[in-house]
Amino acid sequence: MSTPSAVAQRSLYWPVQWSRNRGLFGLFVVVVGFLLLYAYLFPGFLSVSGVAKFTQSWFPLALVAMAQAILMLTGGISLAIGPLVSLGAVVAATTMTGPPGALGGIAAVALTGLGIGAVSGVIVVRLRLPAIVVTLAAAFIIGGVALLILPRPGGAIPLWFSELLAGNMPVALGVLVVIALLWKVYLATPLGLSLYAAGENPVGAYRSGVPVDAARIVAYAISGLLCTLAGLFVAAQTGSGDPVIGNAFTLNSIAAAVLGGVGFLGGRGTMRGALAGSLLLSLMISVMFFLGFSPVAQYVAQGLIIIGAVALPEIRRWRTVV
Amino acid sequence: MSTPATERFPGFRIMNVLRSRAFLTVAIVAAVWVIAGLLKPGFGAYGHLRYLLELAAVIGIVAIGQTLVVIAGGIDLSVGAIVTVSAVGVPLASFAGDTSGIGAIAIVLAAATGIGFLNGLGVAFLRVHPMIMTLAMATFLQGVLILIAGGTAISAGSPVLSWLGNARPIGIPAGVVLWIFAAAAALLLMHTTPFGARVYALGANPLAAALSGINTRATTIAVYAICGFFAGLAGVLVLGMNGQGYVGIGDPYLLASIAAVVLGGTSILGGSGTYAGTIPGAVLLVTITALITVVNASPGWRSILFGSLILVLLLFSGREAARR
Repeated sequence: MSTPSAVAQRSLYWPVQWSRNRGLFGLFVVVVGFLLLYAYLFPGFLSVSGVAKFTQSWFPLALVAMAQAILMLTGGISLAIGPLVSLGAVVAATTMTGPPGALGGIAAVALTGLGIGAVSGVIVVRLRLPAIVVTLAAAFIIGGVALLILPRPGGAIPLWFSELLAGNMPVALGVLVVIALLWKVYLATPLGLSLYAAGENPVGAYRSGVPVDAARIVAYAISGLLCTLAGLFVAAQTGSGDPVIGNAFTLNSIAAAVLGGVGFLGGRGTMRGALAGSLLLSLMISVMFFLGFSPVAQYVAQGLIIIGAVALPEIRRWRTVV
Repeated sequence: MSTPATERFPGFRIMNVLRSRAFLTVAIVAAVWVIAGLLKPGFGAYGHLRYLLELAAVIGIVAIGQTLVVIAGGIDLSVGAIVTVSAVGVPLASFAGDTSGIGAIAIVLAAATGIGFLNGLGVAFLRVHPMIMTLAMATFLQGVLILIAGGTAISAGSPVLSWLGNARPIGIPAGVVLWIFAAAAALLLMHTTPFGARVYALGANPLAAALSGINTRATTIAVYAICGFFAGLAGVLVLGMNGQGYVGIGDPYLLASIAAVVLGGTSILGGSGTYAGTIPGAVLLVTITALITVVNASPGWRSILFGSLILVLLLFSGREAARR
């Protein structure tokens, strides 16, 4: 790869970033529309605590959407997202008030996610097994471990930690911004650059000297870390651990990433899209709640909206063809 | 097409059979049964093995459709929901004058096929990824189910259903008989009809299939509709065996069907595999579950054992797939 000069970099950076937004404008418009609707339905939204409360309901979904998107960018997928979130919550609830202390507990949560992610990455990448089946098996194992650690909801999270993350200040929003910036930094590293190449055309990337296997394994590790951190946050929100609390996140993470335009085949999509997708999903659920939809209608509407959003580009293509 | 069937499919040779993944899975099942039978008295009893087969029949029937869909290059994550729809739907669809209960079953099977048809429409025409399409369908059905059934269990007691659940023509449970017929039909469909050849072609390379004149959209829709039908049939069988249907009754069969397909050697990427492997895959799955229940472990350990065993079995099959 040739290194472009600084001038060329500067003049290319913004056009490239801009072009990556193509196809996402519709999504951004819908998200803004839903945000306005939400602000109209719930005027308290336009205050510090309103923003804090909203970002707290969005935060875990945003993290798991990122966790799923990073895998989908490499051409993988994970069906173990939900159980990993549960495991993160359970580890947090059993360690943070115990001997390891709060910081030790957070470290344990992070290491659990990194470790499990790396192991499943090695199994998928090195042993060349299909990701969907490996992570399906991993979902059983991880869910079982969570049940062993905490057979029924329990444990505790230090009160100050819950207050900090899930209190009236938008700390969660700040954390999310930091994570998004870290993602930008990661994309600038060699491994981050390899991520898209490894997903788009693994063979071609390998032949051009891209560390394909390493990029994919690290992606799994990061994905695992994001999942357990989401679990840590869920535990802080509820003040305790629950071994099955994360189950719904598996499907929602896929839905959010796909809504955000991340493709299944790898190399297609952006993290900003995945974040916008998770925001849209989270807004949809909140708005339906405020409009007094019954949970049943929420299921039905959610199913329809996801199909509609994903099918929209295809329908638009028809119109241009016909 | 004028090519004789013998050229379209490899000829029948003993060595090919012995080397095939389907046979490998059968061998694993046999080994597990023999070892478990020796170690655990009662495991090898005819009654227990018959019971295992009866449980495997449900998974096996759901997996017929799943095998077809996976071979065609897709995946169906809505089979669990369709099983539930059918198990809850039969009692609701029963009407006066339908004393045998066949009418209700026919209505429900038609509905299940229709759900699969819708899945196929979404995948083929809207180009929604199968995982998303069927997932959204499952979410949608879950909502509808809660709406029509609520949280209560619905009992059913029509003659056909109780025959399915309890009858034992020539000593074989009716569910297993049903499975045998369904499996025979599926194998014939996959390996002797032009439709079966089209499904393999579609899964191996959709573009090439389309360019060689296959109506990929119609084939896709048909595959998902068949999958819906068999999931519905499995739901009827579950209802017969259970006596009542409730929301969530079909959930375990989603992962079980995918696991049975993969354990049976069908590539999750599509284009290769056979239902002949899925059959022992389903039996193996039930056997594993039974063994784990026998050792009397806690739910956590049971889940860990189950996942680990699938992973280990996958190592067997995965290696072979990589060599190809």
